[in-house]
Amino acid sequence: MIDTKQIYNQFEKELDQVSSASELETLRIKYLGRQGIMGSLFLELKDLPQDQKQLLGPAVNQLKKQIEEAIGSKTFTPSTKPDTTTTKIIEGLPKYGHLHPITQTELQLNQLFSHLGFSIYNGPIIETDEFNFQRLNVPLDHPARDMQDSIYIQEPKYLLRTQTSAIEARLLAQEKPPFKVAFPGTVYRNEKVNRSNHFVFHQYQAVVVDKGITMKDLIGTIDLMFKTLYGPDVVVRYRCKYYPEVEPGLGPDMQCFQCKGKGCPLCKGAGWIEMGGAGLINPLVLKAAGIDPKIWRGFAFGMGLDRWAMANFKITDIRTLLGGNLAYKPYLK
Amino acid sequence: MKLIYSHLKKFLPGLNVEPHQLRDDLTSIGHFTNYFEPLDTDFVFDLDVKVNRGDCLGYYGLSRDLSVLYQVPLQQPPLNLAPPSTEPLPIEVTAPAQVKRVMALRISNLKNSPSPDWLRSFVEAHQLNSVNTIVDLTNFAMLYWGIPNHAFDTAKSGSALIWELNTHYPEFTTLDGTTLKLKPGILMVNSPTIPLSLSFLGGQACAIDLNTTEIIIEMAVYDRTQVKSDSRFLKTITEAGIRLDKDLDPNLITQAFSHLATNIISLCGGQASSALFDYYPTPATSPSISFDPTLPSTYAGIEIPTSFATQSLLDLGCQITDNLVTPPTIRPDLNLEEDLIEEVMRFWGYNKIPTSEPISNLPLPSITPPIITLSNFLKLKMVEMGYDEVLSWPLVKTPADPPTVVSTQNSLNSDYPHLRQNLTTSILSQLDSYLRYKLPNPQFFEIGTVFNKIDNKFIESVRLAFYHHDRNQINNTLLELQKTLGLNTNIPQLSSTPNIFEIDLTALLPTLDLSLVSAPPSTLPLSQAVVELSGQIITLDANITLTEPQDTQMLLNKYVHIVDPQYLWSLSIIDQYSDPTHNVYRYTFRASYYNCTDKVAKKLHLQSFGLL
Repeated sequence: MIDTKQIYNQFEKELDQVSSASELETLRIKYLGRQGIMGSLFLELKDLPQDQKQLLGPAVNQLKKQIEEAIGSKTFTPSTKPDTTTTKIIEGLPKYGHLHPITQTELQLNQLFSHLGFSIYNGPIIETDEFNFQRLNVPLDHPARDMQDSIYIQEPKYLLRTQTSAIEARLLAQEKPPFKVAFPGTVYRNEKVNRSNHFVFHQYQAVVVDKGITMKDLIGTIDLMFKTLYGPDVVVRYRCKYYPEVEPGLGPDMQCFQCKGKGCPLCKGAGWIEMGGAGLINPLVLKAAGIDPKIWRGFAFGMGLDRWAMANFKITDIRTLLGGNLAYKPYLK
Repeated sequence: MKLIYSHLKKFLPGLNVEPHQLRDDLTSIGHFTNYFEPLDTDFVFDLDVKVNRGDCLGYYGLSRDLSVLYQVPLQQPPLNLAPPSTEPLPIEVTAPAQVKRVMALRISNLKNSPSPDWLRSFVEAHQLNSVNTIVDLTNFAMLYWGIPNHAFDTAKSGSALIWELNTHYPEFTTLDGTTLKLKPGILMVNSPTIPLSLSFLGGQACAIDLNTTEIIIEMAVYDRTQVKSDSRFLKTITEAGIRLDKDLDPNLITQAFSHLATNIISLCGGQASSALFDYYPTPATSPSISFDPTLPSTYAGIEIPTSFATQSLLDLGCQITDNLVTPPTIRPDLNLEEDLIEEVMRFWGYNKIPTSEPISNLPLPSITPPIITLSNFLKLKMVEMGYDEVLSWPLVKTPADPPTVVSTQNSLNSDYPHLRQNLTTSILSQLDSYLRYKLPNPQFFEIGTVFNKIDNKFIESVRLAFYHHDRNQINNTLLELQKTLGLNTNIPQLSSTPNIFEIDLTALLPTLDLSLVSAPPSTLPLSQAVVELSGQIITLDANITLTEPQDTQMLLNKYVHIVDPQYLWSLSIIDQYSDPTHNVYRYTFRASYYNCTDKVAKKLHLQSFGLL
């Protein structure tokens, strides 16, 4: 027998014990979620004889409404002192809003690339093995395919994209050249989260497919990007580097901003910091997308944003970027 | 990979380059060199070798590259292998798909000993343990040529070696006594009765010791995927495995094996006592690649002489007939015309390409999806309205709607197995954190992707959720958003949590006039106000009594310059008491301090407001 009064009494008791917003949400899911108590009650109601259904239906509906109202009107005080005095504030320093450090970097780059005539693009986060690896000329036994590196949704077909190059693979398949496109994106690796590692990373990638694209176009564009982000005095070197999706491949390194090239723990003694990967798009990658490499040539480069954001904003723990202790001084713009 | 300068000169006697220049040049042509350091009167370099350049996991392969770069001749070490006996070795290979080539030889009447100083020093500089002369020479050959090899003590192993896929051995004991659990199908070298060695790791059963007088040495190249798979299954990484899971050149075995045998006989005495065993059913060949020597210039965007292009490829050991280039088999990474173009470009020098000529800014038709324009527009709008942006984990502990949740299969962060289905959970998690830090008056938003699985399809949609400590402000924010977006109807609320509003931007998109949201701002609100909180924010009040009424804004401006900005989080006047009759005007300040202890905050507070 459905006893709506007893359920409501129990709910009230639990509501009284709620002391945080997340506990309130847990309670809401418990009672009002699709598989919550109310959901079960409605299922139970469905199987009752018609006369009982007519009798209990309004009561169950009323119960649901009461619970919704009680949750909605639950006063949750974030912090005793500041909140209770809100109405008393007669004057305060201005409260400015702020963009997240990663967004600041992304929008700066978007702005630069928009000025260069680029579109901004995106792609799915849940990707197929085909677009995340195969179409990018990543051979079957490439280390990135190891279970330790990829987070799978349905192995082996679906995974969380491990690189923004997956967006490039979508772009090449979906759009007709010529195009100039840039895209920020989150990527996912199966890493245990700690002070210096995370399973979520932020990358920025740019792709151009056009006639007559050269390494000079690529290097000049990367250099402009670094100067925009790091200032006009940044020292960058370009060297040969291997990525399956590009040929010839290129690696830009930035002179270590801490030791100015002398070698220090930050740059592991090299004096340089690897800033990502680039190159002319491998003709096999273009062919896989149905683009004729005899007519079209392209470049691609990608870089991680997290390390730069951490250095620029003096963040010491990578978890801060996606965690609770990132805040902004409210009165500073 | 370590590289000792004096040993590099064994292959390149004409090499004469300063260590720092060599470091930079190695890096420039693709072998990223982390550092170099002195080693007695020598130098040792630390390199990261590209995964497609297995040949450069040995001195010989790197020397070939440097020979082209510095235009100094490559010299082979002297090989004086005495003519072997005619007695065949009773070796069998029963795994032809996995074994590309095996060369083996028995050497008898040896006198093993601890390694001479130069050899011990060499292997130790490569971070390997020195064992004895024979073992160290096998490692020496691996490091010189990049091809792993092995020596079996025939007193323990016998001469009848079999290369086979494991069928029945349950376990294997390595040289250091570790027992590995085997499975069928692992590539092994066995005697007819005992397991002797894995493809990439020697075994205790036939270990070389100082009493060893007769050995069989072998050098082999395998199907790399087999080695990789075995190594991964056994969770064992070795120097040999790191090389054998790359594409190695079976043809190189001829020289490398001869060098190994010559060195062993030279240092340990003895002589070959068997015929040379050479299993090599399908000799390696290279593809012929069509190559236009003008293309390096076309790809680079600068002039690279065709004579340089052709000569570089010849120097690398390529054969050129008309416009067809056949690379040497030591370079299995060269398969496309673009591979050859890269070879020419890296020796010409990427640093010769100008850095000041970015791609033309001629715009092409925009293919920016509207959801990106909307998201970026709203981020700026929310900031303009005083909200701070947060980003959060896309993985959650508890599904909001279990039937449609998308879950991970193998996440190492197994406490958070599900992809989020709404942003409210993320906002609540952030709020809890801010409350732990006692952040005054939180007001923040997130724009992010949420995930659901409906009708067996993964659905990703973009949402905006925001929290305001003052519930009344939620409505004001909403009204402002509706006005900005030109909406006459209410935006559907997806959150039932007080003080949080959640909007499905993907669903909202078709109802919007995008011309209202597409104008990008000329200046971005960039800010250095970011703080990584390390402790609770401490909020304290102070009463200041004055004899004349004050402009509160001026008062605030005065005190904001008194309080140390390193610790001041926020400042406000929360109450004002006026008694003109007695000339008493009391202002109650509320100051919040961060990144300091209670004690420091209190002291600072008392000092700043003159309450000491």
